Amino acid sequence: MDWLLLAEFSIVGLLSGGVLALIALGFVLVYKGTRVINFAMGEFMMVGAYLFWTTHVFMQLPWWVALALTLVGIALLGAVVERFVLRPLAGQPVISIVMATIGLGAVLHGVAEAIWGGANLSLPQLLPRQPFMLGEILVPGQVLWSFVLAVALIAGFTAYFHYSKGGVSMRAAASDPVTAYAMGIDVRKMQRLTWIFAGVTGAVAGVIVASMTSLSPTLGTVALGVLAVIILGGLDSIAGAIIAGLIVGWLESITVAFVGGQARDLVPYLVVLVILMVRPYGLFGTRDIERL
Amino acid sequence: MRIGDFHASYRHDEALFDTRVQRAWFAVLVVALLAFPFVGGAYFVYLACLLGIHLISAAGLNIMTGYTGLISLGHAAFMGVGCYTVAVAERAGIPFYVALPLAGCVSAAIGLVVGVPSLRIKGLYFAVATLAAQFVLGFVFREWESVTGGVRGANVPAASLFGFELAGDQRIYFLIVPLAVVMLLGARNLFRTRVGRAFIAIRDRDISAEVLGISLFHYKLLAFGIGSFYAGVAGGLWGYFFRVATPELFGFPLSVFYLAAIIVGGLGSILGTVLGATFMTMVPEVLRAMVGWAQALGLQDASVFLASIRQVVFGLLIVGFLIFEPHGLAEIWRRVRRFFHLWPFRT
Amino acid sequence: MSIFDRRRFIGSSLAASATAALGAPLRVFAQSGEIVIGAAPPITGVFAFAGAGLHAGLGDWVEWKNTQGGIAGRKLRYVAEDSSYKVDQSVAIFKKLVAQYRPPVFYGDSTGWAKAIAPEVSQLGSLLATGPSFSSDLADPVKAPYYFMPGPTYSGMIEILLEHVSRNASSTKPSVAFVYSDTEFGRDPISAGKAKAAKLGLPVVLEIITKPGAVDVSAEMIKLRRAKPDFVIFHGYVLAPIPEFIRQIREAGLSSRGMGTIYSMDKTTIDQMGAVGAGFLGVMPYRYSFDSQKTPTMELIREVGSKKPGTPWQTLFYTQGWLVGMIFDQVIGRTLSAKKELTGPNMKAALESINKWDTGGIFGVPVSMKTHAIPVGRTYLVTGKSIEPASDWITIG
Repeated sequence: MDWLLLAEFSIVGLLSGGVLALIALGFVLVYKGTRVINFAMGEFMMVGAYLFWTTHVFMQLPWWVALALTLVGIALLGAVVERFVLRPLAGQPVISIVMATIGLGAVLHGVAEAIWGGANLSLPQLLPRQPFMLGEILVPGQVLWSFVLAVALIAGFTAYFHYSKGGVSMRAAASDPVTAYAMGIDVRKMQRLTWIFAGVTGAVAGVIVASMTSLSPTLGTVALGVLAVIILGGLDSIAGAIIAGLIVGWLESITVAFVGGQARDLVPYLVVLVILMVRPYGLFGTRDIERL
Repeated sequence: MRIGDFHASYRHDEALFDTRVQRAWFAVLVVALLAFPFVGGAYFVYLACLLGIHLISAAGLNIMTGYTGLISLGHAAFMGVGCYTVAVAERAGIPFYVALPLAGCVSAAIGLVVGVPSLRIKGLYFAVATLAAQFVLGFVFREWESVTGGVRGANVPAASLFGFELAGDQRIYFLIVPLAVVMLLGARNLFRTRVGRAFIAIRDRDISAEVLGISLFHYKLLAFGIGSFYAGVAGGLWGYFFRVATPELFGFPLSVFYLAAIIVGGLGSILGTVLGATFMTMVPEVLRAMVGWAQALGLQDASVFLASIRQVVFGLLIVGFLIFEPHGLAEIWRRVRRFFHLWPFRT
Repeated sequence: MSIFDRRRFIGSSLAASATAALGAPLRVFAQSGEIVIGAAPPITGVFAFAGAGLHAGLGDWVEWKNTQGGIAGRKLRYVAEDSSYKVDQSVAIFKKLVAQYRPPVFYGDSTGWAKAIAPEVSQLGSLLATGPSFSSDLADPVKAPYYFMPGPTYSGMIEILLEHVSRNASSTKPSVAFVYSDTEFGRDPISAGKAKAAKLGLPVVLEIITKPGAVDVSAEMIKLRRAKPDFVIFHGYVLAPIPEFIRQIREAGLSSRGMGTIYSMDKTTIDQMGAVGAGFLGVMPYRYSFDSQKTPTMELIREVGSKKPGTPWQTLFYTQGWLVGMIFDQVIGRTLSAKKELTGPNMKAALESINKWDTGGIFGVPVSMKTHAIPVGRTYLVTGKSIEPASDWITIG
């Protein structure tokens, strides 16, 4: 057993899991706030990355201006989606809302393909590329910095939810809308904010992923893999999303190491299936108590 | 204007056709379907065959998801299982009238395995578990080279009936369409029986159903099995029709297509299945025709946008139907019918 | 009345009226004498980059040929629809266009498509098919009699690369790694490539399979860093993730040289590699449109292609589209001038009669299409500034 090899794969895997955790955070935010799995998250990521490309590469604006504009654009998209797609569907069965987000994803995908074409575009290197050496182990610079960035964002969000008035209001609206209304919280505004936050998370994650690989309308397929992460962690647990993100990142890396790249997307799902049999709500999800 | 529903016996109440007019119309339909390949253009026969396959598969999905409430995001993978089974069976010399039921059974067996977690795992978690099944099966299609031919895919020889090859759309039409009619009738009939009513009970309130004595595990598995059987048969027919089975054909986008078909058509209704599948099959054709007219009118590069337009329209249709007509085309149809039945009254 | 019968009635009447209304006017026969060239290129989808160029090249060739009077006095018509690189779509487009126009030639989108339509093509016996796939399965005049490919097989290309490596090696045999995508495109030549490497005594130290398109390659890099191959052969990609691999190889301090096959050798890919692409070696069967050596066909391609704004040079996909047009010209022209009908067997014979054909510069030597492929190519080296030929024109096999 080559421990060094295992260690190297493990470290790179865990660090790659940072971005997965970030995307998972977006999913969990939406689920906690509105009880919906947003199958269009991948497309939010993709649109965010394209907006960034347009403002930064095409219009040549400095990256922080481009990023700000991108986030504003995605926030708008999130608000529009919440108001015009999700709000009318409130109370519909789960399958309907899932399909609505899938349909939304298709619309975004088609629009992006029409505007920006199907070919690969490349984003400039946003994260420093200089590799880090941990003794014998080489950690690619981008992987490390994407992890740092993801952790910073997740920490920021968690702090917001726990310590700021807005964050606490969001949590209140999510866990018990009726009581929240009674306490004077505008639940609808909180739901809109939830979607905006999810969109923003997705956009940042999309920009990171696009700068590490390349930008095309198929960027969104990364999000399908993150579904395994949120199911593993539990649909409504932020801590679960983070831990599961790291686990899945590690799993993917180990799979590439010992099985091969063709099984990379599959193994997380296999593990999820197994875990679900033991813990049907994921590792940290809350148990649904059904009442007649 | 209809005055009311006068049934004198249970049998009459449950009948699928209860008036002579209905039976006459059905006879007209049968004649039209039989005559179609001889009067329709080659491309329309192709579309009819494709539609037949989509109908069978969508019916299976509706049984699972629309009637029993088990969301399946991996339906396309079961079709793939059926398709590859047919490919392997034909290689072993098994004729189509054994290979097709075999494809259905193998698919049903795998469906049963995938359905096993359904007792413990519920709702969205279960939906993602079916997605996991989709990916697992996709992996198997790609990697099990000795059986499936791996990424190269497997060629499927034409179905042959004692030497008469069912090659060409006109001939395979007479395998697909009658089979589709029979299977749709079968599905419709299922919901006149105890099993079908159990499925509906499970969808509406599974805990209450269990309290009433319906074995959840037994019936959920049965729903999955039947739905996968339909998918397997549809996949087998797909094999005989396209003559090739590749892993990319049976991926998540195809599952989404079938889900969209039953949602647009109407969950929990065979009429909805037919309307939805027809609609979703015809929409790309209509779009293509429109792009053709746009090109004729001078917009040269309109075809480049066809793929994007197709995606956007697909998504808009799903979202639009869900917001404005959640019970789908079947509900629109029922409303139109009610209008004509009650006319000149309004309600 | 039950819901059931009305549904069936609506369904059948819809079908009937659709047949009546649309069936008649859509049965458009090409105007008498017109030759239709059908195509289902992958203009969108995973290989959008390639498909757009192929579509433009073939379309522009048809337009140009019409200005030259067409083939044997008959005008040409190019009918193409986007397949998004999906087999069911390309098969559907194929069936539709064949039913409508009865084209004698058709350009598809993939190996899967070619195999799916093979039975129908044999049954129809009225057309010759081709496409962007160079899979060795399809370069077989016996098993795929009505298919041809406008270049060498992928296996042939990898063999050229390995020969080049072996010939220019010093005393120790350099080690080789294969990095390919988990698709039919990617996997096709690998076993032949490994066999050839074994025959030449080149150790294959690593095999990496990835998803096609953009992936995170950090984990694969760990294996590469350990294996330290001298050469890394990439195959099965059009763009991503080759530039990323090359960049990470350099950053890891490895001196491995990257090598690629035809579709990874377009200038756009090479440009994206930037400075780190220097030393990349590849096999490309065609001349680049910006080649310093001026040749008649390449000049023509530049002239026609540059009419579109923003295209100072043409991609190799454009060149291929043009070449396919030229091959169609040869096949149809030869059949018609021998006063024969445009049927499959006749066109097959015409195809196989193409011998010592001067393509006017696309290939540097006269070519023959007896094996339904053009087994000619040369290696190119990416320097910091440009893509230069690194060998003579090689004929394989």
